[in-house]
Amino acid sequence: MSSKPQALTSIGPMRAFAANSKKIAVELIEINENLLGFNQYITEYYKQLSETWGVAQKKVNQKAPKIPQDVEQIEAAKRIWIDIFDNDFTELFDSKKFGENYGNLVSKELELTKHWNNITNVILQSVNLPSKEEVDEVYKEIHSLKKRVSKVELELKKEKRKNAK
Amino acid sequence: MQNESTIDPKIIEEVLKFSRNVIEAPKFVSAPDEINLEVTPHKVVQQIDKTRLLHYKPISGTKHKTPLLISYALINRYHILDIHPEKSWVRNLLEQGFEVYMLDWGTPTSMDKYLDFDDYVNGYLESSVEYIKNQSSTEQISLQGYCTGATIATAYTALHPENVKNYIATAPVIDGWKDTTVISNLAKHMDADKMVETIGNMPPEFMYYCFSVLKPFEQGIEKYVKFFKNIDDKKYVDNFLRVEKWLGDTPPIPGELFKQWIKDIYQENLLIQNKMHVGDELIDLKKIDMPMFTQVAVGDHLVSPECSMPLHYAVGSKDKTLKIYPTGHVGMIASSLSQKKVLPEMGTWLAERS
Repeated sequence: MSSKPQALTSIGPMRAFAANSKKIAVELIEINENLLGFNQYITEYYKQLSETWGVAQKKVNQKAPKIPQDVEQIEAAKRIWIDIFDNDFTELFDSKKFGENYGNLVSKELELTKHWNNITNVILQSVNLPSKEEVDEVYKEIHSLKKRVSKVELELKKEKRKNAK
Repeated sequence: MQNESTIDPKIIEEVLKFSRNVIEAPKFVSAPDEINLEVTPHKVVQQIDKTRLLHYKPISGTKHKTPLLISYALINRYHILDIHPEKSWVRNLLEQGFEVYMLDWGTPTSMDKYLDFDDYVNGYLESSVEYIKNQSSTEQISLQGYCTGATIATAYTALHPENVKNYIATAPVIDGWKDTTVISNLAKHMDADKMVETIGNMPPEFMYYCFSVLKPFEQGIEKYVKFFKNIDDKKYVDNFLRVEKWLGDTPPIPGELFKQWIKDIYQENLLIQNKMHVGDELIDLKKIDMPMFTQVAVGDHLVSPECSMPLHYAVGSKDKTLKIYPTGHVGMIASSLSQKKVLPEMGTWLAERS
C-alpha cells in the first residue's frame, strides 16, 4: 500500500507520465542512434554538393575570361557560370548516388520525426489526450464513411437523371 | 603607368543602376496579398469536401455544344491557367467559344490523409463530370488534364470512356521509368510508406525542395537578377510577381494519394503497363478510344516528353494527335507561345469534335 505522500505524488496525469517516462528514455536513446546515421548521410549530401561545386568552378575558370573588361564580357562570364553550374548540378541531382543518399537522408529524418511523435504521444496520453494513432483511426473512419456517402449520393443523382429522361 | 588597368565606365554604370533598382524595388513591387490571381470571372458551382468546381463566365458566347472540364495538377494551384488576362489559358478558350469548367482540388488538411486515387478519380472528378452533364444536358464532356491532373484524368477516361467525348492530355505524368527529370530520380529513391506513416500528407516544403533542385542557378539566381534589372518595366514586374506568388503556394498532397503516386507511377511504373488499380478497378489505357490530343514540351524539366508521349501510343483511340512544342512545362500553358500556337491548335482540334 502506498503511503499518503507517495499516493499524493502519483495521482492524476503525472502518474501516467511517470509510468511512461521509461518509454521516453528509450526514444531518446534511439534518437541518438538515428542521429549518427543522419549525420553520415547529411555529410555525404554536402560532400556531393561541394565536390560538384569545385568541379564546376574549375570548368568555369577554364572557359571564362580572367578579368572581364566590359559589360558584354561580364554578361558572357555570368552565362558561362550559370550554364556550367546548372548542367553539373542537374547531372548530380539526376545521378543514382545522389538519389540514394537523398532517399536515405530523408528516411533518417523521418525516423527522427517518428521518435519525436512517439515522445509526444507519451505526453499526450499522460494528460488523457488521444494519441496520433487514435486520431488517425478517427480520420480513417471519417474518410471511409464520407466515401460511402459520396458514392451513394452520386448513384442517386445518376438514377434521378435516368428517371428524368 | 604601363600596368594600370582601366575599368569600363559602363560596368560602373551597370553596377550603380542595379544597386539603385534593388534599393527602389519596394516602390514598384506589390505585396503578395495585393496580387489577385483570379483573373477571369467565375462561379463556384459545386463544392465537395475541399474541392470546388468552377464555371467560367462565357466571354463571346458559347459556340460549341460540348463543355470542357479542366483537371488541374495536384502541385501548385489552378491559377496558372488564368494567371494574366493576356496569358490566360481559360480566357483564350472562352474567347474561342468553349464552355469552360475547372476542378480546383483545394487544400487538403491532416484529416484528408486517407484520400486516395479512387477518391480523386471516382469521387471528385466523377461528381464534377456528372454535374456538368446535368447542367448542359449532354451525355459527354471534353476533358483536359494538365501534369499530374492529366494522370487523374487519364485514369478517369480509361474507367469512364462513355462520359468523355474528347480527351486532351497536356504534359501528362504517365511513364515514370522513362521520365528523365530530377523529380523522377528523387521519387524513385523515396520511402513513400515511411513518409506517409510519419507525417501524413506530403508537405509543401518537400515540393519546394524539389523545385529548388530544378535548374538551381538559372531559377535561383539569374531569374532574380533579371527581375531587378527590369524593375522599371511594370508589365514584366506584374507577370513576374504573379508567377512567383503562384510558385510559392502549393497545397499538401493527401498521404494515400501521394504514396500510390510514387509507388505506382515512378517506382513500379504500373500505369503504362496497364497494371495500375484505382479502387478495385484495373486501368486499361486501351479503353481510351475517343479522339485524343496530347501536348508535350521539349524543354519540360518537370515532366519530360519521354514520360508523357507513351500515352499517345498506348491508348486505343484511332483519332489521335501528338503535338510537341519548343517550350517548357509552364511555357506551354502560360506564355505568348501558348496564346499564339498551343491554344489555337488545340481549339481548332477541339472545335471540330465538339
